[in-house]
Amino acid sequence: MIKSRKLRNMATGLGLCFPFFTLYTVFTIWPVIQGLYVSLHKWSLMGKVKYVGLDNYIKFLSDQKFVDALKHTVIFVTLSVPFLVVMAFILALFANRPVKIRRGLRIAYYLPSIISVSVASFIAKYMFAPYMGFVNGILHAIGFLESGTEIQWLIDTNHAWGVITVMTVWWTVGFSMLLYLSALQDIPPEIYEAAEIDGAAKWQQLLSIVLPLLKPATYLIVMLQVIASFKVFGQIQLITAGGPAGSTKPLIQYIYETGFTKNNMGYAAAMSYVLFAVLVVCTLIQRTIQKKGEQKDES
Amino acid sequence: MNHKKTNAGSVVLTFLSAMMAIIFLAPVIWAFFVSLQYEGKQIKSVASWFSPPYTFGNYLDLIIGSDVAKWLLNSVIVAILVTMLTLLFSAMAAYALSKIKFTGRNNLFLYFLLGLMVPGEATIVPLFITANSIHVIDTYAGLILPSVAASMNLVIMVTFFKGIPDSLIEAARIDGAGELMIFARIIMPLSKAVLSTISIFSFIGSWNNYLWPLLCTMDSNKFTLPVGIPIFAGTYTVDYVKPMTANMIASMPAIIIYLIFEKQIVQGITMSGVKG
Repeated sequence: MIKSRKLRNMATGLGLCFPFFTLYTVFTIWPVIQGLYVSLHKWSLMGKVKYVGLDNYIKFLSDQKFVDALKHTVIFVTLSVPFLVVMAFILALFANRPVKIRRGLRIAYYLPSIISVSVASFIAKYMFAPYMGFVNGILHAIGFLESGTEIQWLIDTNHAWGVITVMTVWWTVGFSMLLYLSALQDIPPEIYEAAEIDGAAKWQQLLSIVLPLLKPATYLIVMLQVIASFKVFGQIQLITAGGPAGSTKPLIQYIYETGFTKNNMGYAAAMSYVLFAVLVVCTLIQRTIQKKGEQKDES
Repeated sequence: MNHKKTNAGSVVLTFLSAMMAIIFLAPVIWAFFVSLQYEGKQIKSVASWFSPPYTFGNYLDLIIGSDVAKWLLNSVIVAILVTMLTLLFSAMAAYALSKIKFTGRNNLFLYFLLGLMVPGEATIVPLFITANSIHVIDTYAGLILPSVAASMNLVIMVTFFKGIPDSLIEAARIDGAGELMIFARIIMPLSKAVLSTISIFSFIGSWNNYLWPLLCTMDSNKFTLPVGIPIFAGTYTVDYVKPMTANMIASMPAIIIYLIFEKQIVQGITMSGVKG
């Protein structure tokens, strides 16, 4: 009787897990293993060509284009992460003030995040287009730009990075803003009241009370943003296509082109593991921080 | 005196926060007004984009006379199926992992947790090879199946289901209810909140997914909106009106869902971001 119950539980349990297990194994776990195998081969879109051992891994060390793509990705991370985190913090402070438009503010700051990367990139591209674009139009209207002159936003590398960074902040800052907002709301109101009684000015409260209390949230947000920024692909491909002259091409775009345009899947898979390693290390750091935060919560 | 000063500061802050909100909304509002213009309108200044006459004709043109309608349909089909399968398969597995005792359960859960460490972007090349070898490239199955089994959703559901008292389930078992009955009649109705949060995120995630559909579809009949729109827009070099209309068609469903479920979305992000 007990044994049959056990068997039945086992059958039901495994049966219920089966669809998830299959899809998860085929599309999440198997590609990780398959990728290692592919990376040891010369591999085209049609399939395996020949075994080359570690050649693909040795190759990228001396591949200037790979080094450049990695460099561009790091540039993007260093440009976007501080900007995103500071902006998220400011917006969260705005949306946390007890004003009537509070909910409206939150909705507005997060709304761009709901748009797909294609749409967000195209809107940004048109916004920054010369002659007809919104941004140059505004600059003309306020007299910052003389009539007859245009800023060519996407032809200069520095300007292009500016457009990509501003677009990314606009498009993705909502998420971190919400994380900060929830951290702000976790601060007990008594703490502010105590500070008020002690005569601390608002900005003093901000520096000496709010900032230290938001440390765990800040660590978490920084790590999540580093991870997200390392994965940058869509907006750069759609706004600058990696240009001008390949000067903004990030790692994923180079992997994508190597694999699917140049038909060299083996090399693309090998390069993917560099990204994989970076992201796994960042994720491990993030999870450790998060665990520490939770343990503190409980104690 | 002091009091007045803080008041003035507070007004300035409110004004700044509202300005920021306008800046965040401006690109979307601009895109919307562009989509209402007649094609070929002379743009003399920024104001011309916003001035009448308006028309909804562009929307009609695109939905009737272009590929955009096809991509819209593909996006809808894919997003709905991804959402339904995600809910069903994740909830089934989560129920087994949280409420049925069987050998190997813990190891199976640990195996499912591994997925939290796998960045999908870094396995895109072998994922393509896998999908190609099982012949799902350029099919709905290829667009849908890879995004169904996400570890994060499973973890959220397992955590939630564990909170449902065992006594409820034991009582039903004594009454002779089978596991499927318990799952459908007790677990699912009690989990509406978490299930709807996961549905919203699955739907919006699928609706906006770009990298995988880009790789998975070659035939323009199978494109989803995020893949099709850049190609569609690329055929217009001078006029912004039609591309912006396509952008608005692609964004409206997500924006409407967002405005309706804003509170739930905010809660979901806070839950998965902070506690996840």
